[in-house]
Amino acid sequence: MKLLLLLSLLLPIFGAVLLLLFQGATRQRTARWIALGTAVATLLVSLALLNEYRPLVGAMMPDNSPVQPRFEIRYPWLEFDASDSQETRSVSLEMHLGLDGISVSLIVLTALLTVSAVLISFESIKHRESEFYAALLALEAGLIGVFCAFDLILFYAFFELTLIPLFLIIAIWGGAQRQQAATKFFLYTLAGSVITLIGVVALVVLAVRAGLPHPCSIPDISAWLQRQPLDPQTQVMLFCLLSAGFLVKVPVVPFHTWLPLAHVEAPTAGSVLLAGVLLKLGTYGFLRIAIPFFPYACTAYGVPIIGALSVVGIIYGSFCALAQQDIKKLVAYSSVAHLGYCMLGLFALNVEGMTGGVLQMINHGLSTGALFLIVGMIYDRYHTRQLTELGGLAQRLPLIAVGLVFISMASIGLPGLNGFVGEFLSLAGMFQRDWVYAALGATGVILAAWYMLTMIQHGLFGPLKEPDTHGEVIRDMGLREIFALAPLAFLCLWLGVLPEKAISLIRPDIAAIARIYETAPVNSLAKSVPTTASDRELAGAIVPMGEPRAEVYESFR
Amino acid sequence: MTAIEQINQAAANIVPEIILLATVCVMFLTGPFLVDEQNRSSTVLRHRWGALSLMSLLAAGLVWYLEPATDINSGPIRVDGLVWVVRGLSLLFGGLLVLIAWNQVSGEHAAEMHACLLSCVVGANFVALSNDLVEMFLALELVSIATYILLCIPGRSRETLESTLKYFLLSIFSSALFLYGVSWLFGVAGTTSIPGIVEAMSAENAVANPTVLKMGMALVIMGIAFRLTAVPFHFYAPDVFQGATSSVAAMLSFIPKLVGIVALLRLLPAFAGQIELADWAPSGSIQQLLAFLAVVTMFGGNLLALGQRNVYRLLACSSIAHAGYMLVGLTIGNADPGVGGTTAVLFYLAAYGLMTVGLFALLTAARGAESPIRLVSDLSGLSQVKPVESLLMALCLFSMTGLPPTGGFLGKFGLFVTAWSDGTWMGRILAISLAVNTVIAAWYYLRLVGLMYFGSPKESESHSRQPLPLIAGVTCAIGTLLLFVMPQQIWTAIFNSAL
Repeated sequence: MKLLLLLSLLLPIFGAVLLLLFQGATRQRTARWIALGTAVATLLVSLALLNEYRPLVGAMMPDNSPVQPRFEIRYPWLEFDASDSQETRSVSLEMHLGLDGISVSLIVLTALLTVSAVLISFESIKHRESEFYAALLALEAGLIGVFCAFDLILFYAFFELTLIPLFLIIAIWGGAQRQQAATKFFLYTLAGSVITLIGVVALVVLAVRAGLPHPCSIPDISAWLQRQPLDPQTQVMLFCLLSAGFLVKVPVVPFHTWLPLAHVEAPTAGSVLLAGVLLKLGTYGFLRIAIPFFPYACTAYGVPIIGALSVVGIIYGSFCALAQQDIKKLVAYSSVAHLGYCMLGLFALNVEGMTGGVLQMINHGLSTGALFLIVGMIYDRYHTRQLTELGGLAQRLPLIAVGLVFISMASIGLPGLNGFVGEFLSLAGMFQRDWVYAALGATGVILAAWYMLTMIQHGLFGPLKEPDTHGEVIRDMGLREIFALAPLAFLCLWLGVLPEKAISLIRPDIAAIARIYETAPVNSLAKSVPTTASDRELAGAIVPMGEPRAEVYESFR
Repeated sequence: MTAIEQINQAAANIVPEIILLATVCVMFLTGPFLVDEQNRSSTVLRHRWGALSLMSLLAAGLVWYLEPATDINSGPIRVDGLVWVVRGLSLLFGGLLVLIAWNQVSGEHAAEMHACLLSCVVGANFVALSNDLVEMFLALELVSIATYILLCIPGRSRETLESTLKYFLLSIFSSALFLYGVSWLFGVAGTTSIPGIVEAMSAENAVANPTVLKMGMALVIMGIAFRLTAVPFHFYAPDVFQGATSSVAAMLSFIPKLVGIVALLRLLPAFAGQIELADWAPSGSIQQLLAFLAVVTMFGGNLLALGQRNVYRLLACSSIAHAGYMLVGLTIGNADPGVGGTTAVLFYLAAYGLMTVGLFALLTAARGAESPIRLVSDLSGLSQVKPVESLLMALCLFSMTGLPPTGGFLGKFGLFVTAWSDGTWMGRILAISLAVNTVIAAWYYLRLVGLMYFGSPKESESHSRQPLPLIAGVTCAIGTLLLFVMPQQIWTAIFNSAL
């Protein structure tokens, strides 16, 4: 079991190294098969993990940490205080891997999308194939690493690590403006995550002062912060610092400007993973770190600010999508809107909302990933994505048209398909927290139908309009492309009809987090914390060289 | 104890240095006799000298590895954990530098070249070993005089002359500053021996003249800041790097940093009246001075690097910035024993050495001596001609940026934690400037990686293979990865010895 977990992380790395080492020796055709083999093997391992995984039992025990990984692999990584004395408290990093329901489902999603991404690149990547697939597999390893890391610094390391391969994928195999897009993507997200690093370090220093034996372990910190929440000022400060990187990654409007450019320039496989999984790192970071750690900041500041920004994102993203002539850009803006739902769900801070948020993460991965696949297929055939140059493709490419219509319906949130479940739960959860955001957010469903149907109408129906193909024969979806798309489409249907399976997988872990917000409602929490300046100093969160502030705080209470 | 016994005793503690110095003497003395009247010699000679130099480094390394470190703090030399760390670093990087330099020199100059490289290594060790300000001055000079020769060996081009002359004049200037500071300190303490100064500084013997003392300390720190290329004493670095060969540039980017940091680690506690590094933290005006230097150096180096078009100038600016990062750890010191600033600095120094020496080694390996990479645009499309070298170079560059999975990430993280856990506003400002600088630096490192990977290659000329620099580069790259994956042993070794 633990071996499987390790294997899911190491297999893609192994594949990438293999591809790089035999770069010169292997012919380009072999590279793609090695990549496909590795990706499929990783998918099988992740499915085996899913099969072995049993949902959490007893999460509702009040003493338990809100974050409880199973199948943990822990070994010391770097202990700052290397002396033998047990008295000094210091930073100690661990290689701490684990799984819970949320991460296992996201790992399966990553593995699945990687297979599709490899399959769709067979024809479209024409130069330096082995390097391309190596980068793709390295990206997969980084993504899986983020989802199974339960040490703050390890989490951050994987979080940053994903930047490098995606930067290369966009920069080498992207479109015309690839350099600009890649650099903007890299610097924008790096700037965000460096601010996150400040927050992480500040939190770790606090944990060291509080005497935690493993001050970087996410479960330990969340248990500690549940026993003794930080004072409000510190919570808000840390929440803002930590959120910076996640907000950019999600991306929440107004930090989204890197996204459309990166999507448009990235090759199809890059877009699939970028939209499908990479954006989820931001929402996952909120769910894993910000929400369980800072209950006061989340309720007092997170809900109004992030709620408002998400609503703005939903509406603004939808209108931007409506205005696009480039199908890929349209899908990119629709991502901004969809992740708005996801954030609304997460910041409902109750079981329904967060379940909806996580489902929405998976749904968006499936449907947007599939949309990018189809856009890639169309682009491979016509070398254009402009709606002005395309029309009536349903006559020429019936299978692709069927796929596009089906996936668009899932993306809009048609009942019976996956998008509906996630959006409904997110909005229902948010309605309990604050109905205004939910009501405003719900308008996005109509807008989504508007831009998606407009796109279908222009692109697929009406008189046939296609650019000059210079004598190339336009074929419909081939077997390889069907293999890439079909699993995603099937899951869209399955999650729509039978969502209980997925919900029962993630629900216990979400309930454990949501419990913080049930047992400690905002008001009582706010009352129990010191409010005057002198009291705050007494509780001294980051006051220099403090006593273990937990104890001071305890005595105050 | 008679004088001869004292010398014998001292000699027993510096066996690695004696081995290296003996080799240096052999090289300098026999080298001139092996060239003919036209000052030419066979190319085989350079292999012989290279092998000799490697062998002596290996022998010194063996002694270093087998000999247990005994703590001695009396007489002219001081042996402690810090010496152990410095010896390890200087010998390792000395070996790597020899590999890079091997084929960059003609047979007739090989003896001088290797002798000077070894002198730099010995000089670095002696800075750590010195227990007296005058001795430290001599050790610093051992490094810089050897560097003058190294800089002017390759040829008579204008750039070489400029860089030699510039380094010569400014190095003399910095030595003068250092000596001037020493004389002020001598005036206050009445001695130049470091234990004597410690005694004079300690609280019981409150110094009568604090202004004079501060003046002396400031002058000494400024003299060392020249070696470290701390802003505002940095301006010679880009020009000197530009005129240097890759092996000398690699040396310049690492050995002076090592020397400067170690000299500060020796002197700053002494100025605070402490002989041991443990529990030492700079305070008052010295701390303010260091913090100022750190912030200005970081920003200065990175902002200067943004506009550079020559790879060597760019790397010189980046080395300035890295000196600033290291000064952060020194500014905080060991106030909090859990997260020692000195451990973080020395760990960062090791990681930095691997990435910068590795980068220069790979630059050498990617193109032969006939058409070396000098301009940033020379890197264009390199990954298609030299995929292995480019990949490893990218790794080193990511390490310089501070991204995982490299030693640079953990090194920077260590400094970051040190700065933040200080808990003062100064610590926080230092940490935030570190963060801001990471992003600024990412821009120009990324540009290099970008050019290698998405530029189109120039004419695909076939270059001779460069196995030795490649070995050095691969070693550094693997080391960089290992420092990320299993850093604990190195960290523990540094921690236990530096405290």
